[in-house]
Amino acid sequence: MITRYDEQQLDALRELASIGSGTAATALAQMLGRPVELTVPRALALPLADALDAVGEPDAMVASVVLPTTGSAGGAPVIDGGDVEMVVLLLFSYACAANLCELLGVEPRSELGDSALGEIGNVLGASAVGAFAQMTGLALEPQPPHVLYDMLGAVVATLLSSTAGELDFALVLDASLTIEDAACGMSFLLLPTVGGAAELLSRIGLEGKE
Amino acid sequence: MKVVRMGELAVSATAEDELVSMGLGSCVGVALVDRARAVAGLAHVMLPTANAAYSAPAKFADRAVPTLLACIERLGAPRERMVAVLAGGAQMFAGAKAGVAGLDLGARNEIAVRDALGALGIPVCAAATGGDRGRTVRVRVGEARVSVKEAGGVEVPLWHPHVAADDLVEAS
Repeated sequence: MITRYDEQQLDALRELASIGSGTAATALAQMLGRPVELTVPRALALPLADALDAVGEPDAMVASVVLPTTGSAGGAPVIDGGDVEMVVLLLFSYACAANLCELLGVEPRSELGDSALGEIGNVLGASAVGAFAQMTGLALEPQPPHVLYDMLGAVVATLLSSTAGELDFALVLDASLTIEDAACGMSFLLLPTVGGAAELLSRIGLEGKE
Repeated sequence: MKVVRMGELAVSATAEDELVSMGLGSCVGVALVDRARAVAGLAHVMLPTANAAYSAPAKFADRAVPTLLACIERLGAPRERMVAVLAGGAQMFAGAKAGVAGLDLGARNEIAVRDALGALGIPVCAAATGGDRGRTVRVRVGEARVSVKEAGGVEVPLWHPHVAADDLVEAS
């Protein structure tokens, strides 16, 4: 089992995240018909509580879109992290969620509003994951998005509990996307599971250390 | 205020202290309170049972509960006077179609916490658990009061020492 990640591995994961989120930002810009700015992604391997703090304030209310991403390795039912390789997570403020819904001509916090946010998650997730798949040769498939308005900590800690499993630290790949002239910034996070990170690294020739 | 982050625990015998765990989703906040004195502890549990040697002190329910008890006993609170109050253990992705990690993790966490408390003979006097919303739990050491706030809601009392057993708040 991997018990830590070294700098070389984190650099490689950052590079993957950079290409993945770049592809995702381009896809989002096309979908919305406006420019999307992207920060250089971070690749963090931090103790669990620190990883959560790095993402944001645990009691802040956020809109979130969650897409578990499965591999094609087995036909096993996907329950409780079964063959989930990574989780794609979008976090934005309520105001930003409302702006995006307005931009897409739907009522925020309605069924249509939620499905519009889910669709943004689909576009970002599918393009980032597609880029990962292309670079690593790993078959990855995002599952349907789940839209949730809740405390940041409740959303992120629940996901990290599953992706980190037995490990005491979590791997977080994150970037910020800003949609110009919509006054909207969002965090775009990729949370590889322990198994998913090992698989990605082995595909690019950087196997985990025992 | 002492913030008890995920996988951590804290105890206090300082009346002015507040122990707080923010944004509990599937995690469970386990508060232990001395009914007679201003001594309390809080653990922020993430997963049910440990099968690895290394771990944060309060990450796993089966280790966190005895560790929290040992820490609070060292502050002079006897086990016989101890009560437990729980918050969290939600099913955050209840409506998800498939593949979201942690589907029933909250419920499993709560069961593991209750089992560990039961094994030590500590009664659970109030709980705000389950559901599909995040929560913040706050323990005011001086008053031995525990309160909970659901995502988007207001802070409500969950337990304090002068409530009759039948009148305890069981938040939904």
